[in-house]
Amino acid sequence: MASVIATEPALEPSSGARQVARRLSADRGAVFGLVVVLVFVLAAVFAPLITAISGYGPYEYDLAALDDTGAPRGFGGGISREHWFGVEPLTGRDLFAVVIYGARTSLLVGVAATVVSVVLGVLIGIVAGYFGGWADRVLSRATDVVFGFPGLIFMIAVGAIIPPWFPKSLLIIVVIGFFGWPAIARVVRGQTLVLKQRNYVVASLAAGASATHLLFRQILPNLAATIIVFATISIPGKIGAEAALSFLGVGVPPPTPAWGRSIGEAINWVQTDPMFLFFPGAALFLVTLAFNLAGDGLRDALDPRSEGAGR
Amino acid sequence: MNRLRGMGVVLAAAALMLTGCNANPANPGSSSQSAPPTKGGTLTILTSQTEISFDPAKSQSLAITSLGLVNRRLTTWEVAPNQPAQVVPDLATDTGTESDGGKTWTYTLKDNLKYADGTPITTTDIKYGLERSFAPELSGGLGYHKSLLAGADSYKGPYSGDQLASIQTPDQKTIVFKLNTPYGDWPWIASMPAFSPVPKAKDNPNTYGQKPEASGPYQVQSYTQGVSLNLSRNPSWDPATDSVRTAGPDQINFKLSQDTTVAAQSLIADSGEAKNSFGAQFVPAAQLAQAQSNPNVKDRLATSGPGALSYLAFNTQRGALKDVKVRRALEYAADRQAYLVAAGGTIAGEPATTLITPGIPGREPYDLYPAEPSGDPAKAKEMLAAAGHANDLNLTLVVANDSSTLAQAQALQQGFAKAGVKITLKPLDANTVTASVTGNDTNYDLYLGSWQPDFPSPNANIQPLFDSRQIGGGNYNISRYSNPEVDALIKKATGTVDPAESAKLWATADKMIMQDAPVIPLTYTKNSFLRGSNVRNFFIGAFPAYPNYLKVTLAQ
Repeated sequence: MASVIATEPALEPSSGARQVARRLSADRGAVFGLVVVLVFVLAAVFAPLITAISGYGPYEYDLAALDDTGAPRGFGGGISREHWFGVEPLTGRDLFAVVIYGARTSLLVGVAATVVSVVLGVLIGIVAGYFGGWADRVLSRATDVVFGFPGLIFMIAVGAIIPPWFPKSLLIIVVIGFFGWPAIARVVRGQTLVLKQRNYVVASLAAGASATHLLFRQILPNLAATIIVFATISIPGKIGAEAALSFLGVGVPPPTPAWGRSIGEAINWVQTDPMFLFFPGAALFLVTLAFNLAGDGLRDALDPRSEGAGR
Repeated sequence: MNRLRGMGVVLAAAALMLTGCNANPANPGSSSQSAPPTKGGTLTILTSQTEISFDPAKSQSLAITSLGLVNRRLTTWEVAPNQPAQVVPDLATDTGTESDGGKTWTYTLKDNLKYADGTPITTTDIKYGLERSFAPELSGGLGYHKSLLAGADSYKGPYSGDQLASIQTPDQKTIVFKLNTPYGDWPWIASMPAFSPVPKAKDNPNTYGQKPEASGPYQVQSYTQGVSLNLSRNPSWDPATDSVRTAGPDQINFKLSQDTTVAAQSLIADSGEAKNSFGAQFVPAAQLAQAQSNPNVKDRLATSGPGALSYLAFNTQRGALKDVKVRRALEYAADRQAYLVAAGGTIAGEPATTLITPGIPGREPYDLYPAEPSGDPAKAKEMLAAAGHANDLNLTLVVANDSSTLAQAQALQQGFAKAGVKITLKPLDANTVTASVTGNDTNYDLYLGSWQPDFPSPNANIQPLFDSRQIGGGNYNISRYSNPEVDALIKKATGTVDPAESAKLWATADKMIMQDAPVIPLTYTKNSFLRGSNVRNFFIGAFPAYPNYLKVTLAQ
């Protein structure tokens, strides 16, 4: 998130980084969200470093931490000084390391899929809105179709037929990203329709500017705030979609840690080892909540209507 | 050809004590699990299967499970707690009379045998039932008889009008089998599902499995695919002719498509209908841990002895795995300890080194690749380097996409990683996995499976998995292992009628195959099943590692 805010002034010269930062810091929810997101991003980036400190990697088996039945020994699913979050039943893998490395999967898929859907959505929305006519009609109907398409079922089906050499993470990113673009396309189209009536656009057109110039120099910069807010708010949805796929057993293949898969396995253990469900569940909850709060705060801070700071 | 599990020595604990927790205290007998058979009640069996076919030609069912309730065979199994399984007469008066040095077997039917509709059971029907098992449209059943009956190689079933000459019925009560080799275990073969009578007039290969002509104590009352299968009493069944089926419950309902975890949880909770139920699937590891920690539930857990072999098969016709030196090196890299823990700990099995499983007559224990239970990655590494594959092995393991199989596969994966071998898991739908590894597609390096012998003979351990004729085409030589010497030895051992002598040959074959290392024997699995508190006489004998459905009763 930090980087998004840092680049923001370049895209939005008139509102000013300082102003946005001031408004953001006044919003406690947004600050909390940003901090949590930052913590998770750092955890994901420095996962090998962190697990080197904690002592156990996510692929290491510690059978001594399990009892005769494969359930963790000791309190709270084997919480101890060695295993801060306890261990996974049946494997003895350190749950802390699994959760930390799971953040990599979730954030990578969540952010990358968002990028895919934002790029697609912006491109389609801006073209439909600016050119209008048959381009608009075709693209808008296509948007409606994809919007109403049962994406999750399609993802499961695609996962089953795709050849094994195709990297699963990339597939998940592409598929989740592909089903995420219609919402942003609609918003961008609507904004573009408004913007292209503005005087400066009309003036540029009259001065003989090309369509490319109008789209990328005049209209797109004015959509930046909308796009940033929309992207932030749609990340948790993408993370949730990845978790759902992993939960259903069609996400990234094991042993790569993924919160959704851990949650799916932990459901079976909830009566014997509830902490196995708690930690990955809490991580997923926190990260989606944080992205939502941060996105909300960002929208308020960037919204011209909230303080009359115009574009 | 059951890919499932177990077999074993002695069923411990679970059988004899029960706290009588939820049972009505006024009822005598409810305090003991091994109660004298009582009649009445509705028994529910929870299964994850989505369909059950009672077509004997298509069935791989053991003699003591679902099919045995409806279809009687020439012989069947007497399975009792703490005793070795015995083959006993069922429709026939004895387990078979041999002549011609074991190449001819003759059976005579008992008197007063009738189908549910009252028509008498004849040997013509048994012959017809066997013949239809050769029909291509009815494939998939246990087929040991197909390679033993003389002249059956090119036989394609009765629907084209042909008969199989090596099965003769001199009269309606006598049936004679002519084999292509002397074969001492034929009485066991005659207990397979295909030896059930099928009246020709009632046969429709597409629908017979849903409404078979019942010869056993129950008949199919209703069947809804994916939901339920209800059995009611067969009025024509005469208990005087049947020594193995106690037919306690009035009604037996199978609940299909049950999630294994949910079923185990409802049996642990033991309320309502679950009291009169038992689970047909193994209790998953999580529920197994839960059940063991609760004394009330532990008493309702039935665990088999060590039996079925779980193994990792190498595709011996692919890449680096063609090299026996590589396979031998990998034998040392198996982490059996982590594998066993992933399967549920000590209650789930014991480490394995041989192909013939414990409790099978003639088994000789040996260990060609001695290592710690957690493996010897250093030695494996050294041997791999000597074979020229120090760090370049990247093998694909196809596994069923369910959490317990994946847990076991990951345990092996981390063990092999210590020896510098990269394993990539390829999780697929369970049916897809079976279809791909038993078919003619060879696009896999490793397969994780387990094998429960279909009858207690080393033949059933070895021949289906390592005979080169069993490669592809739906058969289970998943290692695609082909060694003419082994084939010859299998043939010789099969044709040896004297049990002691043939056992010796099988033990030799066992070692000879492991020299070539086509599989890694991982564990002899133990299976655990849960029952409700009203279920009585629910036990697992020494063979097979499955509960005996035929004797289960309900407390009244």
